[in-house]
Amino acid sequence: MGPFDGGSSSSSSGSCAGKSPEIDGLLAGAGYKVRSSELSQVAQRLERLENVMVNASNEISQVASDVVHYNPSDLANWVDSMLAELTHPQYPPSDLQNFPHHDSWTDQIGNQQNQNLNHNQQLTMVSTMMDEEDSGIRLVHMLMSCAELMQRGDFSLVASMIQEMQVLLIRVNTRCGIGKVAGYFIDALSRRLFSPSSAVCGSDSALENEILYHNFYEACPYLKFAHFTANQAILEAFNGYDFVHVIDFNLMHGLQWPALIQALALRPGGPPLLRLTGIGPPSPDGRDTLREIGLRLAELARSVNVRFVFRGVVASRLEDVKPWMLQVHSKEAVAINSIMQLHKLLYMDPGRASAMDTVLSWIRSLNPRIITVVEQEADHNQPEFLDRFTEALYYYSTMFDSLEACGLQPEKSLAEIYIQREICNVLCCEGSSRVERHEPLIKWRTRLSESGFKPVHLGSNAFKQASMLLTLFSAEGYCVEEKEGCLTLGWHSRPLIAASAWQAVPDEPTRKRDREGDLSI
Amino acid sequence: MEDGREKKKPPSPKFCINDHVDILVEILRRLDGDTLAVAACVCRLWHSITRHDSLWESLCFRHVPSPPPSGIKPIVLALGGYKRLYMLCLRPVLNRLSRFGLRDRVDHVQLTLSLFCVDYYERLGGGGGKLGESSASSSSLMFLCRPVNV
Repeated sequence: MGPFDGGSSSSSSGSCAGKSPEIDGLLAGAGYKVRSSELSQVAQRLERLENVMVNASNEISQVASDVVHYNPSDLANWVDSMLAELTHPQYPPSDLQNFPHHDSWTDQIGNQQNQNLNHNQQLTMVSTMMDEEDSGIRLVHMLMSCAELMQRGDFSLVASMIQEMQVLLIRVNTRCGIGKVAGYFIDALSRRLFSPSSAVCGSDSALENEILYHNFYEACPYLKFAHFTANQAILEAFNGYDFVHVIDFNLMHGLQWPALIQALALRPGGPPLLRLTGIGPPSPDGRDTLREIGLRLAELARSVNVRFVFRGVVASRLEDVKPWMLQVHSKEAVAINSIMQLHKLLYMDPGRASAMDTVLSWIRSLNPRIITVVEQEADHNQPEFLDRFTEALYYYSTMFDSLEACGLQPEKSLAEIYIQREICNVLCCEGSSRVERHEPLIKWRTRLSESGFKPVHLGSNAFKQASMLLTLFSAEGYCVEEKEGCLTLGWHSRPLIAASAWQAVPDEPTRKRDREGDLSI
Repeated sequence: MEDGREKKKPPSPKFCINDHVDILVEILRRLDGDTLAVAACVCRLWHSITRHDSLWESLCFRHVPSPPPSGIKPIVLALGGYKRLYMLCLRPVLNRLSRFGLRDRVDHVQLTLSLFCVDYYERLGGGGGKLGESSASSSSLMFLCRPVNV
């Protein structure tokens, strides 16, 4: 403010005296002194100022009380200073560069400019860097306000805020950090606003989903952690059994199972007969993807001399699976493996039975030796949009941060698309199309305990293995924590994924549960 | 002239290691991985010897605190052999663990074998997912090869 104060107060008198022929006559009659040559520029800046003032309503009061107002009759100067106030509250305006460099500009400012040129160049550089940080923080605030407006239903304001945020986004580095996350969230908000139909959240192509999933597997350790931890629990549960059956709720490429097959091969006492039932969505082009994966796993099992039987169950939703499809035999130890699948059952359709209850009851009826559950550690199932939005912003910012550590391209970009689809589903979809209903471990514990399951502690071997896996991962920011027998993997002490193991509490002998289909226990 | 040339001729060696392959093998078996790789570049005989998997077998589990599980050999051979196990998995794992001073304290055998198995599976074409690329390269182990981000 310093260099301007003295300047502008004397500038108006200075410009009045010597430059009257150039001042616009009509405006001068109203008391405003604007140069005719600058009329269009001043008009544009006024428009910008109006936009900024409308959208930054909480900052206006600050402007009203704290700031020295410049002489409003010198309209050009005044508009610039107001814009500078509202867009960079603390630093000397970098709009200094925008000022036209006429010789006819005020002597005071002219002299000051010449003197402070180097100083201002440095200031501009500093203020540009601060700009970016500032803009980043402003973006977050704006995202939160926009989400609140969205919840209130103020859609026209939401639309203009989205535009304003997109303008601000230009100022920020969108290749990393807060700019990148903000970009995805602004995109999600505009999708929710402009195309709320369920077809919004990425394509339904199973092949695409598999490719993105695979890249997510490679770019960061979350899925590897899930697989290895679950495998360790399953391995320990299968100790002493000669016939074992693993049911995988989402087979994908079956990347989890080679390690289990190898570990069973090296089991002291020899490997058991392993049956694997993989559940997966139908593939559109007539390929039997499940069978192909099964064949490859069988080939691997054959190489290491493990007797192996594979069966594929095609189902587009988990609740469509009936227990008789799984063909569980008596006398075999059953393990159920759910990697980020259970949360999809959380939608409560008011007219029908709860999908979660249905699935949990048939899981119990299979009497599994162990149930491994891995879920995202976040509360993205809250009914209020603003709560979901806030939680998602923090969760996915942390996840994107951790992804920065991955240097592999194109794995990293494709992993980001995978995450972006999740974000879109959490924020843009409602009702039955919102499948990404993540809930934190605490809620899962309660839910599973109330449905007749008891927790199984994961043990120190799982913890050691997980820690070692992370040591091998090049980024030092991941941390494994153990919480009441469950393991979580997080980035810088924010847990992002939680793995737990469960067992069915045996029924009292007098109570009979109704079973679907033909089951042998 | 001929005298001069005769003087420059070196005396014939009494002992050439290449004539005693069994001793050579014993020596090579005790080398570390990097030196073994260098040795493979010396001459054709050394190159063919170093390609024997048994040489790498003794290298693989030299530093493990507890002996490897029995029955491991057919599995390693089925999944690609000891040399591949060492070059692809063990070497980067050991490097990583040494950086944290954990090399001789932590039993990394199971984890390394599991990763090796995943690599084999991907080479079978089971990994899938690479857009338009053949899945001949094991991508899920790439994270082992990247430099540590300190």
